[in-house]
Amino acid sequence: MIPKPAQALADLALKLATGIAPETASAYAQANTGMISALLLALAQDSERAAANRLDDIADMKHLFSDAARLFPSAAGADARAAFCADAPAGYRISELDAFHARGMVALIDLHAWSERHAPPLAQRIWDFLRAHTERNRFDVAAP
Amino acid sequence: MHPSLKPLGDRIIAYLAERWSLPVALATLEQIPGGASRETYRVRVSVAGETRGLIVRRDPKTSLIDTERALEYQTYEAVHGAGYPVPEPLFLEEDPRFLERPFSVMAEIPGCETQVAGVRADATEDRRERLGANMWMLLGELAALDIDALGVTRFMPVPQHAAARELEYWARVIETDAQHPQPVAMATIRWLREHLPPPSKRLALVHGDYRTGNFLFTPDDCVIRGVLDWEMAHIGDPLEDLAWSLDPLWCWPERERAGGLVSRKAAIRFWEQASGFTVDRAAFRWWQVFASLKALAIWISSTEDFLNGETKEPILAMAGWIMTDRQNRILVDRLHPASAHVYTEPLA
Repeated sequence: MIPKPAQALADLALKLATGIAPETASAYAQANTGMISALLLALAQDSERAAANRLDDIADMKHLFSDAARLFPSAAGADARAAFCADAPAGYRISELDAFHARGMVALIDLHAWSERHAPPLAQRIWDFLRAHTERNRFDVAAP
Repeated sequence: MHPSLKPLGDRIIAYLAERWSLPVALATLEQIPGGASRETYRVRVSVAGETRGLIVRRDPKTSLIDTERALEYQTYEAVHGAGYPVPEPLFLEEDPRFLERPFSVMAEIPGCETQVAGVRADATEDRRERLGANMWMLLGELAALDIDALGVTRFMPVPQHAAARELEYWARVIETDAQHPQPVAMATIRWLREHLPPPSKRLALVHGDYRTGNFLFTPDDCVIRGVLDWEMAHIGDPLEDLAWSLDPLWCWPERERAGGLVSRKAAIRFWEQASGFTVDRAAFRWWQVFASLKALAIWISSTEDFLNGETKEPILAMAGWIMTDRQNRILVDRLHPASAHVYTEPLA
C-alpha cells in the first residue's frame, strides 16, 4: 500500500464541500462544513510539505547563523546559534522537527533584534528568510 | 428548528416570560454561523399577540476574543442611545441559572445580510460604491461622536497614550498565547515600539473590529442598518478603526478595493468627509502596521484556544491556521525593507 495522506485529505475536503454540505439543513452547519473542508485542504497541503519545509527552514537558519558567526562573532546569542548549528533534529517525526525548528526560530528572533541595531544588511537577509519561510508555508485555500 | 436546540429554546422562552411577565411561545430558533466570540442564535417568539425577532448571544465555553460582555452591552446601549445604527439591546443576563452561561438579548433587525460577497460580485460599481460609501462614512460618524456625551467614559478607561496601550496589550496576548516562536510578530512589535506615534490629539469610541461582515445591511439599497460585534470596543485613536477596516485580510484575495468594495483612497475620503478629520498619514501608517499585528495576535490566540480549550469550533482552527498564514504574509510584505508589496501598499 502506498500511503497518500495529502490526496486522501483533499478528497475528503471535496466530498465534504460538494457532497455533504449541501445536504445540511442549517446555515450554521453549512458554514461549519465549509470551514472544515477548507481546513482539510490546508492540512492536505501541509502534510505533504511539512517535513521538507521544516528542513529547508533549518538549513536556511544554519546558513544565516554561520554567516553571522563569521561576520559578527561577538553578537549577542552567538553561543545558542553555534549550538543550534552543531546539532540536528532528534528524528524526522513532525513533532521532532518542530521542536528543533522552534529552537532555531528563538535564536533567529534574537539575531534579528540585534541586527536591526548593529547590522542592517543582516536584518534584511533575515527578512528575506522570513519572506521565503512564509511563502513556502502558505496555504492556497479559498477560505469560505 | 433542529431538535437538539429544543431544550435551549425552552429555556430562552422561560427567561423571556419571566422578564416580560407575559406568556411567550417559541416560533423558531436557529444558530447563526460566524459568531466567533459568542454563540449567536436567531429566535422568533410570539408574545402578546405579536411575533418578535430576537438575537441571543451566549458566552461560549471558550472564545476567539476574551472580552468583557458587560462592557460590550453598555457600549450597545450608549451608541443605540445616540442614534447610531445598532441592534437595540434588550437584556444582559449574567446569572448562569438561565442558560448556563451569561448571555444578552437584542432586537433583530429584519431583512438584512452580513455577507457582502453578492455585492462584491456585482458587475457594476453602483452597489459596491454605495455600500462602501455607507461603510466608511458610518465609521467617520463614529469617530466624530463625543465620548463624554456618549457616556462611554463612565465605563471605559481613557488612555493617556492610545497607541502605546493597544500595542502593549496585544504584544502581551502574543507573548502569552503563542504556541511556537513568532519571528514576524516579534519583528513587528519592535518596529511598532520604535515608531510609536505621539499621543492621539483626539480620542474617540473605537469599535475595534469594524470591517465587512460585521454589519447588517439591506441588499436592495445597500444601506447599513446595524453595526455588530462591539466586544473589542474601547476609547482610543479613531485611526485605529480606519486602519483595521482597510487591512488587506478583509478583502483577500482582492488587492485593490478595500473590503472588496471601493478603493482605499475613496474609503479614506469618505471617512474624512464624515468625521471632519484629516488623516495624519504618518500616524496612519503606524496604525496600519498595528492593525495587522492585532489581527495576528487574535489568530495566535485562537490557535491556543483551539488546541487547549474546550470549544473545538472550526472558526478557531480557521483563524489559527489559514488566517495566521495570510497575516504573516501581509506583515512581511509591509515591513520587509525591500518589499515588492504584493499584498499591501507601500508605507509612505
